[in-house]
Amino acid sequence: MVFSSALIGLREGLEAALVVSILVAFLVKTDRRHSLRFVWPGVGAAVLLSVAVGAILTYSTAQLSFEHQELLGGGLSIVAVGFVTAMIFWMRKASRHIAAELRGKMEDALKVGPAAVLLLSFLAVGREGLETAVFFYSAVQTAQSDTIQPLVGFVIGIIVAVLLAYLLYRGAVRFNLAKFFTITGVLLVFVAAGVLGYGLHDLQEAGFLPGLTTLAFDASSTLPETSWYGALLKGIFNYSQQTTVLQAVAWIVYVAIVLPLFLKPTRKTTAPAPASAATVKE
Amino acid sequence: MTVPQSRRTPLTVLAGVGALVALAGCDSTGAATDAADGPIKIDASDTSCTVSTTTAAAGNLTFEIANKGTKVTEFYLYAEGDRIMGEVENIAPGLNRRLIVEVPDAGKYQTACKPGMAGNGIRGDFTVTGGVARQNDTNAQKAEATKSYATYVANNSAALETETAKFVDAVKAGKVDEAKSEYARTRVFYERIEPVAEKFGDLDPAIDAREADLEPGQQFTGFHRLEKDLWRSGLQPDSPQIADKLLTDVKDLVTKAKTLQLSALDLANGAKSLLDEVATGKITGEEETFSHTDLWDFQSNLDGSKNAIVALRPILQAKDPALVSTLDKEFANVQALLDKTRVGDGFKYYDQLSQDEIKTFASAVDALSEPLSKVAAVVAK
Repeated sequence: MVFSSALIGLREGLEAALVVSILVAFLVKTDRRHSLRFVWPGVGAAVLLSVAVGAILTYSTAQLSFEHQELLGGGLSIVAVGFVTAMIFWMRKASRHIAAELRGKMEDALKVGPAAVLLLSFLAVGREGLETAVFFYSAVQTAQSDTIQPLVGFVIGIIVAVLLAYLLYRGAVRFNLAKFFTITGVLLVFVAAGVLGYGLHDLQEAGFLPGLTTLAFDASSTLPETSWYGALLKGIFNYSQQTTVLQAVAWIVYVAIVLPLFLKPTRKTTAPAPASAATVKE
Repeated sequence: MTVPQSRRTPLTVLAGVGALVALAGCDSTGAATDAADGPIKIDASDTSCTVSTTTAAAGNLTFEIANKGTKVTEFYLYAEGDRIMGEVENIAPGLNRRLIVEVPDAGKYQTACKPGMAGNGIRGDFTVTGGVARQNDTNAQKAEATKSYATYVANNSAALETETAKFVDAVKAGKVDEAKSEYARTRVFYERIEPVAEKFGDLDPAIDAREADLEPGQQFTGFHRLEKDLWRSGLQPDSPQIADKLLTDVKDLVTKAKTLQLSALDLANGAKSLLDEVATGKITGEEETFSHTDLWDFQSNLDGSKNAIVALRPILQAKDPALVSTLDKEFANVQALLDKTRVGDGFKYYDQLSQDEIKTFASAVDALSEPLSKVAAVVAK
């Protein structure tokens, strides 16, 4: 009981924690600590909002129709993909100048508004927030009347997610800059591809897009989402055990376009691209 | 990423917050309808999915799902063809989750628990009863209604053209008696679809203007001019030209009527305006001052009105069944009075009616007008 709830908490918390931790690491690595103060309001706003709306939906007669819920989740996902993609290329730009040891140029490249940082943090957390909040409340209600185990498990899961993200942050900060950008960038490409697929799947479930039952593969038995490794995969890359063709195609197309663009050696005659950025082994 | 004004950042987030809260608010509903007998309880385990009741009345259904198994589960309500009506995911073991689904339509549904959140789930049939016609069904009904009335208009306008040609031929050949007997028969088809003709501003007066209603300087043409020639003044030198013009105008009307896009509201308003025609023209005997064939027109107006209501019937039945029965009763009442005045395949002439008969007609028409005037509002609802 505790374990399966913990996995849910881990899964729901991981992706948000991951994106936020990369964002924080990036700001720290590039000496942009002053932008950090915009991360937490974004995260805080998303958490507060999720908790508030979750409470409204749980404790009042207000409700979100199924279509609206899915439309909201799917829509936010696709917006989030846009932001994460922008972040990826923002990092690429920065890494290019780092390789060329052009600190001044890097400063220019990183002139990004606090708004972007704020929104990115907000979106990363807010995307799954509502569903998570509703789950949290039902765990609380169950804890009051029945058993405390689901709530305990869920909280443990969230804590583990935050811990993992912190470890990732610690690890990431240790890399040299160029490597840091490449590795986290590649990781983010896959995260964003997963979010895109997930968002499209939401829209399919709500009936806004066709092909919900046209599956590319069904790995329910070989790689179940309810296992710890399945939960990790889902948390980080939004893996789903039953992937629709649309989802798979979107994922492949996104990765096929964005990954080469990200890894493409910069065509700068003055500063040849570093080898590390051009040859990344997956 | 561009550089927006940092001042505006909290606003951006606030806007997002506002939108979300608004979204949650716009789905606010009263308490779920099944509050009286509590939510529908679903006991889910790893191998079973027990539903406390398998029927419910349409509306907001509240499901209370308790996961008694060891696997995380999901619960779905499917409409036919596995269309998802509502779902709740991530029901951890030991957890209770609530799902409120709006099910406006009666029909066959399926409940499904998915232990392990995989596969097609453990299905069960679920029947929803009652229900209201949904807006999109109403739109389909409206399309159906206008389509069927369009057919009625098309049939009558085709007949109008044929009969007008015969009438015009008789007039031009100087066969007064034949023209007289053809006159009322022809007008039947015009009177049935008069609201359609009125849509084409200048055609209705050219075809159907009464001498008493002419504007100064307006030429007296159309049916009533020929009516006057046939019954009162005898055929005039220009009667053939008037007859030719009438046929041209009618043909023009028929062509235009083919392209007319009617709405359900047009039907409702048309049904009412046909009855107004009866009240203002036929009951008073003003329409056919010379031929006194007002009751033929009366019957035709009534037919046209009735057919518009027949076309609208499914919509009215869904929205206001009481109005439908009132309309049925009043239509029948007016028809019964008209039937009393039948002579052969026609009717009494207006000048043969007694004052009492006319009064009875007037009050019956008023009684029908009253519910007819409500139809448009119900259709627009």
